[in-house]
Amino acid sequence: MLELKHELKLNKTRDEKARMNFVSGLRAHVLNDMAAGMRDIYSADVEPEFRRRNRRAPKNGPEVHKAIKTNEYFKFYSSLRVTAQDMVWQSVFPPLERSRPALKQTAARLAGKKPRGTLSLQKNFEVPRYVSAIDVHLMAGNYDGEYETDDLAAGSLYDNGLAVFSFGLMGQNLDDIGQSIAGFIKRKFSDLRPKKILDLGCTIGHNTGSWKDTYPEAEVHGIDVAAPCLRYAHARAQAQNREVHFHQMNAESLNFPDNSFDVVFSSMFLHEVPKKSIEKIMKEAHRVLKPGGLMLHMELPPNDQLSPYDAFYLDWDSAYNNEPFYKPFRDLNPQEVCKKAGFSTKKYVQFVIPSVGWYGAEVRDAAADQQQSVDNDKTGRLTDGVLWYCFGAFK
Amino acid sequence: MSTAHRKSAGGTRRVTKDRVAKSRTVKKSAAVKTEESSRQTMRRTIRGGRSYFFGDPAIDKVLNMVVVLGSEVWTLRERLAAMEAIQIKRRQLKSGEIDQFEFSAEDEARLASERKEFIDSLFRILQEQVAESRRA
Ligand SMILES: C[S@@+](CC[C@H](N)C(=O)[O-])C[C@H]1O[C@@H](n2cnc3c(N)ncnc32)[C@H](O)[C@@H]1O
Repeated sequence: MLELKHELKLNKTRDEKARMNFVSGLRAHVLNDMAAGMRDIYSADVEPEFRRRNRRAPKNGPEVHKAIKTNEYFKFYSSLRVTAQDMVWQSVFPPLERSRPALKQTAARLAGKKPRGTLSLQKNFEVPRYVSAIDVHLMAGNYDGEYETDDLAAGSLYDNGLAVFSFGLMGQNLDDIGQSIAGFIKRKFSDLRPKKILDLGCTIGHNTGSWKDTYPEAEVHGIDVAAPCLRYAHARAQAQNREVHFHQMNAESLNFPDNSFDVVFSSMFLHEVPKKSIEKIMKEAHRVLKPGGLMLHMELPPNDQLSPYDAFYLDWDSAYNNEPFYKPFRDLNPQEVCKKAGFSTKKYVQFVIPSVGWYGAEVRDAAADQQQSVDNDKTGRLTDGVLWYCFGAFK
Repeated sequence: MSTAHRKSAGGTRRVTKDRVAKSRTVKKSAAVKTEESSRQTMRRTIRGGRSYFFGDPAIDKVLNMVVVLGSEVWTLRERLAAMEAIQIKRRQLKSGEIDQFEFSAEDEARLASERKEFIDSLFRILQEQVAESRRA
């Protein structure tokens, strides 16, 4: 299990650490070893059986899903994956519950410290129902659950949970996505030199901070609807000496003027939002971007660019991990989505970026100089050697 | 509160829409009342239900129990490893000493009988059926 590297990290007993280690190990086993086993069983048994019956190969993810879901190995894979997912959060609750008063004190102390990042929350803010009514990826309480005034426990649950969940693949500071992508963009578009950067759906700001690291001169903002995560994000950024400005806002209607940002970024955000809202968010991104600015979304790769098996594999979460918007998002065509929001098709971009933590900066930078195909069983998949997918457009 | 059962992936998934709505309202009104002094315990149960994959969801549940037990077994092993490391550091134990250690004949006998008791209790549930047919 990964230990958080900042002051807000929870104090855990020896046994609590061991439980977390176990869950991380279990997840790695399911997502690396069992996933590979399931792929082999599919090729050797499930797919040939499908061909015998239908005289053709499966056409898409849902056909693969239907064919495989009676297979015993799939059942064990899935049942264990649900169990592991649940255990991720359950392993955090006991130390978190105990540390809540101390956590609040530490956060208050960090708020007064340099650097002078800011936090602005809104009174009577309305959290959209697609956040307030579900426990996404089996996370009890979701991002916005509050249990006392000025609560930030949900942020801590996410930070510590992600450390267990990612079994090292999201970097030592859980910012591999941000570090990989911001570094890639800097290398690929050396003329960009952004002055203002916005991160949508930033949660605890773990990937927002990477933009500040990569472009220290820039003013960096992160927005989210979830107050407890934003409070935590602010404290976390202060603890890590990153000057970032956090705001409670809905990405569907931003309180920023037109043409005000050079980069509008998001990561792992759109797949947790319904289609109608995605359209609004894209339009808002277009509105707040300066001409020549870059909109970029790190996401799961779209179904139409993957093999039927890989499409099925990624959609597992939508069916079984309380991610109702995941498959509908992945069924969209990203280029169409950008076009609908007013971006020119000619200015569409899409990248497959090697994880900097896994491959190192050299490999990532070399990738910036060449085109890559999305259809790869490591694209957007939390597995050893992950490649991050992103798409967007220049305005 | 009505709960609907929806078939999915060879198993059943519980969809409890009403519960989602209700728990939300309860939480909101509680939050309004929250004063500095009142701190609620974090909710650990999941809204929206959980997926089951085996023909009988009981199998998924038992598997979950086995894994949680596995986690506790691992936790004990880590704790023992810590204990051993501390003893070695304090020079009360030499590295590898436990692996070379042999129980005395007396200890060995006591352990053997305790082991049998342990195994019997582990499988006691199966004996119920045996006892029943013997009674009949
Ligand atoms: C999966 S998390 C994003 C994680 C993070 N960006 C990362 O890089 O890992 C999704 C976040 O989006 C936020 N969110 C959902 N709908 C939103 C909206 N309409 N506007 C702003 N934030 C939203 C949620 O509160 C949650 O914190």
